[in-house]
Amino acid sequence: MFKAVPKTTQLFGYHSTHATLTEFAGYEMPLWYTTTAAEHMAVRNTSGIFDVSHMGRFSVEGPKATGFLESLVPTAVKAQPPGKAFYTLLLNTKGGIMDDLIIEKLGEDAYMVVVNAANAKADMDHMLANSPKGLDVVDVTDSTAMIAVQGPGAIASLQRLTDLDLGQLKRFRCAEARVAGENALISRTGYTGEDGFEVTVYDATSEHPDGVMKLWEKLAETSTPCGLGARDSLRLEAGFPLHGADINQATNPFEADLAWVITAGKRGFIGSEVIEASAAQLPSRVRRGLVLDSGIPRHGFEVTGDAGAVGVVTSGTFSPILRRGIALCYLAYAGSEPGSTIGVTIRGVNQSGTVTKPPFYEERLYGWKRQKGN
Amino acid sequence: MEIRGYQVPDDLMYTKEHEWAREEGEVIRVGITDYAAKTLNDVVYVSAPKVNVTIEQSKPMGAVESIKAVSEVYAPFSGKVLETNHDLDSHPELINKSPYMEGWLIMVAPSNLPAERKSLLDAKAYAAFLETLLQK
Repeated sequence: MFKAVPKTTQLFGYHSTHATLTEFAGYEMPLWYTTTAAEHMAVRNTSGIFDVSHMGRFSVEGPKATGFLESLVPTAVKAQPPGKAFYTLLLNTKGGIMDDLIIEKLGEDAYMVVVNAANAKADMDHMLANSPKGLDVVDVTDSTAMIAVQGPGAIASLQRLTDLDLGQLKRFRCAEARVAGENALISRTGYTGEDGFEVTVYDATSEHPDGVMKLWEKLAETSTPCGLGARDSLRLEAGFPLHGADINQATNPFEADLAWVITAGKRGFIGSEVIEASAAQLPSRVRRGLVLDSGIPRHGFEVTGDAGAVGVVTSGTFSPILRRGIALCYLAYAGSEPGSTIGVTIRGVNQSGTVTKPPFYEERLYGWKRQKGN
Repeated sequence: MEIRGYQVPDDLMYTKEHEWAREEGEVIRVGITDYAAKTLNDVVYVSAPKVNVTIEQSKPMGAVESIKAVSEVYAPFSGKVLETNHDLDSHPELINKSPYMEGWLIMVAPSNLPAERKSLLDAKAYAAFLETLLQK
């Protein structure tokens, strides 16, 4: 039978000799180099690096770029200053979430749009179907690479390799710079809950991977290489949703607890009529976190309250920080109050737990808001 | 013996679901193999049957979980659970560190040992089975 050969990133030569590999969104990617738990803790305590080159990267440039993106996302685009990076959503006409993404505003009419690998093709089709004549939307995924450097030590690890003063680059700001001799775009963003950076390396095709490989190896001297296992446990512990598991075409931003991306009063974007109508009413269900006393909740497990089923787990794991099973779930609005006691049935046993509003860790001790000196 | 980096002790019996069983006089000690532990990567939670529970050969009797995945554990023999490994409650990583010794799961009083023994693999057969798995 014909089997699609998975794609690889520019750093595959390193992964194939150092990591246990897995197929994800059509790419052969590192699952772990040592253990997920060790890589997870490296990011919380020092710093870790992730190859995120599989994520879709689209360059949107030209006089119509701002107006075009304005019509696609519920977040104000024109009002963002150049050098700003922001998290937002692509919505369908029913207000459902097609994807979550980061837009980096490089200039008044120049943007880099970073989307989930699994949705990259659908997102590109959606953008091309809605783009005005004369505007260039270019998929630069294959000609660029992307490395995330995450953790309280990320700034020190990356600063050795660039002249850009990283201390001056505030969170959710981006700037072009030379990194280990390569032309790159650095943004102070990430999806682990920690301080850190995402470095897009320009001119890094799979025929010419040497520059980005050299950067990766230099970063690996001071940061721990991390696979997709730790990437998933870190984002979950921070309470960030994974598209395809926790949010999808049938969830709207209100129930997903992502309504904060909607700029108040903004109209005229795809899905805006439905968003405006749903803003006036309480959602029937809402995304929350839960922590179990024992056992590990997993995708699809039912959540029960005093009166029976109240919701479902959309992703769950073991939190290396809490040493407990944690999950993101959707709960009936009435039972979603943080602190409420719930149960999850695991292999026939009802395990008790508590509803929380993530992140799951104490923000005083972990994550980018942590108090320095801890 | 060792096969492609995985330990397969010669004196144990094995299942194709990667459990091992060791006869210790009248009782059987049960655990998961080095291959199973390494494939899971970092065991963080163990759910084993409680003492006095009756288990049945080839039926699920519990689960071993890593951060990423859940792996069901099947009973290699029918019988009654005599003891469980309480060290795993606070140190599930013992399964990774020492799958055949400190990382054991349960002790069983077998109820049909002579007949059921025939359906298990010896070390040589399990090693050959692993080899076919790893070639895929």
